[in-house]
Amino acid sequence: MRVSTEGGRVRLWALLAALVLVLVGTVAACGGDDDDDDGEATPTTETGGTDGEATGEVIKIGVFSNNEGAFAPFEGQTFGGAMLPLINRGATPVSGDPTDGVENATIAGHPIEIVYGGSDSTPDKAVEEARRLVEQEGVDILVGPLSGSEGIAVANYSKEQPGVTFVNGISGAQDTTLKVRSPNFFRFHNDGTQWTAGLGDYAYNELGWRNVVTIGDDYDFPYSQIAGFVAEFCSIGGNVTERLWPPLGEEDYSSYITQIPEDVDGFFMGVGGTGTVAFVKQYEQLRGNLADKIMGGIFMTDPVILKELGDQVVGVVTAGMTSGDSQEPAYLEYTQQIEDSYPDLAGTGSSVFLYGYYTAMEAIAQALEQVDGDLSDEHAAFRDALANLELDAPLGTIKLDENRQAIMDNFLQQIVEDQTGDGVPDVKTLKTIPEVDQTFAGAFSPETPSPDRTNPACEEGTPPPWTEQGGGG
Amino acid sequence: MIRPALTVERALWWGPGLALLLILVFAPLFFTDFYLSQVITKALWLGIAAASLIFLAAYVGMVSLGQVALYGVAGFTMANLVVADGGSTIAWNPWVATLAGILVAVGVGLFFGAIASRSYGIYFLMITLAVAVLTYYFFAQVTELSGFGGVNNVTRPGIVSNPVTDPQNLFYIALGASAVVYVFVRYLARTPFGLALQGVRDDPSRMRALGYNVPLLRTLAFGLGALIASFAGILSVWWNTRISPGSIDLSRTIDVLVIAVIGGLYRLEGAWIGALVFVALDNWTRGLDIVGQRFNTVIGAVFLAIVLLSPGGLMGIWQAITDYIGRQLSGKPPARPSAGPADEARTASNSPQPS
Repeated sequence: MRVSTEGGRVRLWALLAALVLVLVGTVAACGGDDDDDDGEATPTTETGGTDGEATGEVIKIGVFSNNEGAFAPFEGQTFGGAMLPLINRGATPVSGDPTDGVENATIAGHPIEIVYGGSDSTPDKAVEEARRLVEQEGVDILVGPLSGSEGIAVANYSKEQPGVTFVNGISGAQDTTLKVRSPNFFRFHNDGTQWTAGLGDYAYNELGWRNVVTIGDDYDFPYSQIAGFVAEFCSIGGNVTERLWPPLGEEDYSSYITQIPEDVDGFFMGVGGTGTVAFVKQYEQLRGNLADKIMGGIFMTDPVILKELGDQVVGVVTAGMTSGDSQEPAYLEYTQQIEDSYPDLAGTGSSVFLYGYYTAMEAIAQALEQVDGDLSDEHAAFRDALANLELDAPLGTIKLDENRQAIMDNFLQQIVEDQTGDGVPDVKTLKTIPEVDQTFAGAFSPETPSPDRTNPACEEGTPPPWTEQGGGG
Repeated sequence: MIRPALTVERALWWGPGLALLLILVFAPLFFTDFYLSQVITKALWLGIAAASLIFLAAYVGMVSLGQVALYGVAGFTMANLVVADGGSTIAWNPWVATLAGILVAVGVGLFFGAIASRSYGIYFLMITLAVAVLTYYFFAQVTELSGFGGVNNVTRPGIVSNPVTDPQNLFYIALGASAVVYVFVRYLARTPFGLALQGVRDDPSRMRALGYNVPLLRTLAFGLGALIASFAGILSVWWNTRISPGSIDLSRTIDVLVIAVIGGLYRLEGAWIGALVFVALDNWTRGLDIVGQRFNTVIGAVFLAIVLLSPGGLMGIWQAITDYIGRQLSGKPPARPSAGPADEARTASNSPQPS
């Protein structure tokens, strides 16, 4: 750049200032690398143990979720869920915003240092973030990620890091545990397929649906969800005539809605994230009320989305691993704890995002307590404790199968008009399907094709035991 | 051509570059594996992607948004042709697949180059933007080749080793590729073909009058840009061991443009400087509480500052400093070494383009 003589000096100084700023940034970035080797606290992290009680070695736990992309609205819930087990063990929230984390966390006498991260629902970014937390920050245990395709990529990455234990956040693709089967990757919640247990049965036997269309975002989590619905609905004689796959993060669903034939009995709605609200509103504009036409995935009953949707979705039947109307004392205590810790999250206890991250951190805490925080020998004792843990969670016991994948209850539920007076529709649990396992009563195995746009095929077969045809009624 | 003697300004201009190169050659001694892989190696291949953009912008006057799409074509082709999770079931030798990836990317580049070759300025930018969006949706929609989750666990040639546990090999490969790209473009600029390209940049009408086939030259240049971009695509797949549509979406396209502008859109060296600053800032801000991991805000502010203060990017700032110091030392009016096409390009970009 040629500097003109008049005023050139002022401009040059401005340029120099900008250069210095950038250089300082770069140098600080390089410097940040060295700090972590000494175990010094960087600005992101809070070291516990100031109360003098915790004397053990510091355990570093990384927690990451999505702070960009279609699932960014759920970031607060995920962090809230991950922090709650620590708060219940004496940690104090930094602020009312869960993403600010907690301080003075201890588990089994060990100070817990939390390192936070975020990605954007793409597998690339998730692995990049996981690598930063594992390789640069040096975490012992990593909790995350949030989204389906992210989970498969991070589970694959975990094989390269045998010294670190990975516990899934809330990413729900089937392949993550059924196909990848990484020995140090654990998932303490059901996958997308398991979450649909009971829906196909209800559609066929209660609603009398025979011909159904499915619609879901074009990536691994909805593939898994719709795989579960198809496997169950078709096994008892239903017919899925078409499967529509709009891209994740789509904003205009009108062209997909017009592809849904007018004469189908109903359709399964697996559009998630920021798309759920857009889809429902656009459907109403194009085709009128959808409440008696659709079954929803886990997103329809998410408290945040339900608030947005309001009465439009009253009557819709969904299924998932949480039941918002549970009156179990453990569940009420859990929702109260959320409200006390993070008033902004009041009423979101039934969010799978919150519950998934909660069960992950709670499982870690209980396993660490069992082994007194012993992470020696590549976490051997700790992993053994995790694998054999019977987690007494607020909505029922969670245990793991041999692929370190959760087996837990699933709840069939209906969205009903507001009864609590908060202006948000409520949910009513219709049925509890106990201990749904990942094979979906034998429909899936490591050898069956991965759920995708066309798999599994819609075929009559052995009905799962929880269906009427399977003897469950 | 008369070689100018070694002057203070030349020493100032090239000295830091040589020092940086030396540091890079011995980087595995200074940096942790994580830093070597996640920051420096990433900056090197992102730098190559930005270099393909800067090559087109600085030497041919074509600011393209399609470079990320073209590196995606190379990356996806390579990933689909070897053993991997997802994508096609073809299982070729990784080297053959790599070569195929580069060739397909160049082919696609020539095809789109031919379509875009008669457009200038904003129209050219729009066509290349369309290429970027088209390529993204192609791979996102055609699940036989990718789908949203992409292709995972891509088999790499043996020489690459495992980029997580043993990142040195890939670092040196990326460094070597960057050096080859740099030398190649600098060399190309001095060949008759390169001079013709610069002629097209400065005045396409006059070049046409002189008998040059301007659309053909622009098409070939776009193909060369695709060749450079394809190196970045292949390296990114080796480095990530996966590729998904998210690797080539619009925000990555903008990232590469931002890198080029931060480094200096009309300076080839700026590609790697910009990439290094970009990646280091990304890594650094992620660990910072104050900015709450909002990296995009930070890079946006840096970008704005650069555009306002120095349209020539960081390289432009460096140029101003060396000019100033050189002038102070020699007490002479500024006499700059002809280190690149910066001035000519700036003149060209400011004047209205004939169509």
